[in-house]
Amino acid sequence: MQTIPVKLGLIVAAMSLSLTACLPFEKQDAKVSINKNPFPSTYKTLPQQNTLFTNATVLTGTGQRLDNADVLMVDGKITQVDVGIVAEDVLTINAQGKWLTPGIIDVHSHLGVYPSPSVESHADGNEMTAPNTAEVWAEHSVWPQDPGFQAARAGGITSLQILPGSANLFGGRGVTLRNVPSETMQGMKFTDAPYGLKMACGENPKRIYGSRKQQPSTRMGNVAGYRAAWAAATEYKRAWDKYNSDYAAGKNSQPPTRDLELDTLMGVLDSEILVHNHCYKAEEMAVMIDLGKEFNYNSGTFHHGIEAYKIADKLAKNANCVAMWPDWWGFKMEAYDMVEENVAIVDAVKNSCAIVHSDSDITIQRLNQEAAKVMYRANENGFALKPEDAIKWITFNAAKSLGINDKTGSLAAGKNADVVLWNGNPFSVYAQAEQVFIDGAKVYDRHDERYQAKSDFLLGQE
Amino acid sequence: MKFKQLTQLTKLAQLTKVAPFNKVTLTIILSLTCLTHAVQAKTIAITNATVYTVASQGILSQATVIIENDIITAINPEQVNADETIDANGRILTPGLIGSMNALGLVEVAAVAKTLDGGDKKADITFDASLAFNPKSTLIAYSRKGGITSNIIAPSGGEDLFAGQTFAANLSGDFSSIIAKQNAVLVYLGAKSKGSRAQRLQALDHSFADLQKKLDKKASKEAKQAADKDDQPAKELKRDEKVIKALLSGEKPLLAYADRATDLLALLALKQKYSLDLVLVSASDAVLIADEIAAADVPVIMSAIDNLPSSFDSLHGDLSNMSVLVNAGVKVILAPKGDSHNLNQLRFDAGIAVANGLAKTEALAALTANVADVFKFNSGRIAVGKNADLVLWSADPFELSTKVDVMWISGKQVSTQSRQDALRNRYMTQSDMPKAYSK
Repeated sequence: MQTIPVKLGLIVAAMSLSLTACLPFEKQDAKVSINKNPFPSTYKTLPQQNTLFTNATVLTGTGQRLDNADVLMVDGKITQVDVGIVAEDVLTINAQGKWLTPGIIDVHSHLGVYPSPSVESHADGNEMTAPNTAEVWAEHSVWPQDPGFQAARAGGITSLQILPGSANLFGGRGVTLRNVPSETMQGMKFTDAPYGLKMACGENPKRIYGSRKQQPSTRMGNVAGYRAAWAAATEYKRAWDKYNSDYAAGKNSQPPTRDLELDTLMGVLDSEILVHNHCYKAEEMAVMIDLGKEFNYNSGTFHHGIEAYKIADKLAKNANCVAMWPDWWGFKMEAYDMVEENVAIVDAVKNSCAIVHSDSDITIQRLNQEAAKVMYRANENGFALKPEDAIKWITFNAAKSLGINDKTGSLAAGKNADVVLWNGNPFSVYAQAEQVFIDGAKVYDRHDERYQAKSDFLLGQE
Repeated sequence: MKFKQLTQLTKLAQLTKVAPFNKVTLTIILSLTCLTHAVQAKTIAITNATVYTVASQGILSQATVIIENDIITAINPEQVNADETIDANGRILTPGLIGSMNALGLVEVAAVAKTLDGGDKKADITFDASLAFNPKSTLIAYSRKGGITSNIIAPSGGEDLFAGQTFAANLSGDFSSIIAKQNAVLVYLGAKSKGSRAQRLQALDHSFADLQKKLDKKASKEAKQAADKDDQPAKELKRDEKVIKALLSGEKPLLAYADRATDLLALLALKQKYSLDLVLVSASDAVLIADEIAAADVPVIMSAIDNLPSSFDSLHGDLSNMSVLVNAGVKVILAPKGDSHNLNQLRFDAGIAVANGLAKTEALAALTANVADVFKFNSGRIAVGKNADLVLWSADPFELSTKVDVMWISGKQVSTQSRQDALRNRYMTQSDMPKAYSK
């Protein structure tokens, strides 16, 4: 907890304010401001060609299914989704018998920060040195050569959020990437996507720090830790707001001392950074919702949410997204109450935002099948979900959770042309992504080796 | 199913903007619920089934399978005279699937140490974890949803070179679940965080060589004693030596976990040297030496979905590897990746292998007959005299949309309901009272 520098900063700021109040015409120092994007995206669309898919079964990602439909991509955008589109000077792909969906989005991945091979030197996903490490950014750990990115692309993943691990109450910032090969993290970074803040409830933080005989060692210790941090962040934000308004009023006030940890938390209070909260249990999610209200921020997306079905109404009412596995369970007590219909029960409530996530370098390769399992199991027990409903859990709702649903996550005119062409119904165990497009550029083709990228790491290995 | 639950189901159906339940759907659900209660009949006839025998008869259409008590007694008999007849209506009947190399019954919650019985610091080659098997673990009922009727449970071992011995159990949930104890010896080889992989390979070789020498010496001593008419009994072998002797005679299989091709080749050499019944487990690099493995007639137990280069021992993972091995003539067993809680996913892993080139019948054999053959128990095929472990599927067993309609373990119909269903039902039941009152 780094409250001392803040307090000092506030005292300094207060003293300087009292001085400047007597000298209204003092010349102002240069304005101090925080660069919110110091590691900007350098992502550029790969070579792309205007393309028309014809006669496909189209799932829009927003609940619609269109049969024998066409999708037109021009200059990296989807320009038309309809039946019988006529377009000139475009590459036409006959998608008869095939299915088209939006590019698949995984809101919870550790690719690049826990890459393959999983050797000691690669364990860069969890800064397990203090319960609050809101100052670390997952993007600074991303190894773009992780072969897992290529495998995920072959499964239709076009965007993904890389999160720090869940050892800490505040694990640091997550970053949203385009799943394109690049030598740098910046080359993959999703332009203008908001940052995420990873928080964690429950067993992990209390186990890790409790075993070191420090706070938190209990769930109540966890919550005390969040509250102390948000209280400090509130003070920090007030200091910056005051500095900014004083400066605007012509005063030569002193800026608060920079604190990287509190910068991130302030980003949440300013609604610029979205909360992504590892939280399994119903009663803990309910506390985290109230915590958000106490400090005036939205509690964001709950990740893993094994018990979300127990409080589905509350989650929807508070506009929380919940990212869930279809069926993982039993590895910890907080994962004991799994039901296979969890996603469907959360989804069934009005204004809900149910997501299927992977948290795995294996299942990220088949997020379509993960969603399929939910749909079929739920339908065996009273639901009547269809492919056009289930696709939403891995496209539009995921984009909404990441704050990029104005750019991607559905097949609609004006959206980025992130598209997957499947060899058939994507909710079959035999389904395979045949071609994957990001911003209209083909980044993967199952039948054309020229579009199958290979990591530096695997090159030349015998 | 209680009326209130049905009301809630209808409400949920409305929320998802689809037609609410009709009476037909309700009837089906009710009848399936009834089916899950165990019914004990002397003779059961399953008629009009598409039977995947995984035996010489291949796939039979509109076939009849007769179960008497716990055994399959006839396929397509001339006359059907059964206490109970189940019309499969063309649906697929397969042998019950067999899991392997997991800790089912030895774990409840992986992070709760007191529920873990798979390993022990002092575990050695004699370690028999079957003594700790809990047939009432909630993992077992959940695994039945995947059509799994029996399973090979592997210990995780301790500090000794040998991790202990595997055992076979069925998934009936009965206290009499164990089929065979101590049916194979397990050893973990390959990359080490501290020290060299060579040490373990060498120690394995030495343990065989030492006992071989002792057995030879004992045999010559016994011969001499016989010639001298000395009736003093020869010294009995120690417990661990008896197990190594069973390995040397090929009576007990040696399951060796290893990934890198050099380790696999070293193991093939040991098999040759000591006539071992060797089985390779994990064996990520097996594709590099598929012909050698096939020629040595060594089965491989592997995951179908382990395609990432997770270590320097496994740089050649690919979803097509299982298909490549089978095409090279290797007998393959499909084992789950990861822990035991999601064992029921095995059939989907098989589907992924099929999507990547494996023949469906081979994928099914990798979950049935091949396991039974390697671990030598009387299941895994639909043939006369085989144990009646059977699954009737709603459709293609590997497909995500398919479910188990009816399953039998040793001729007894078993439920696919689990604690997960009880939780779901509770939270889908509408009530003015707290959910704790909905049971």
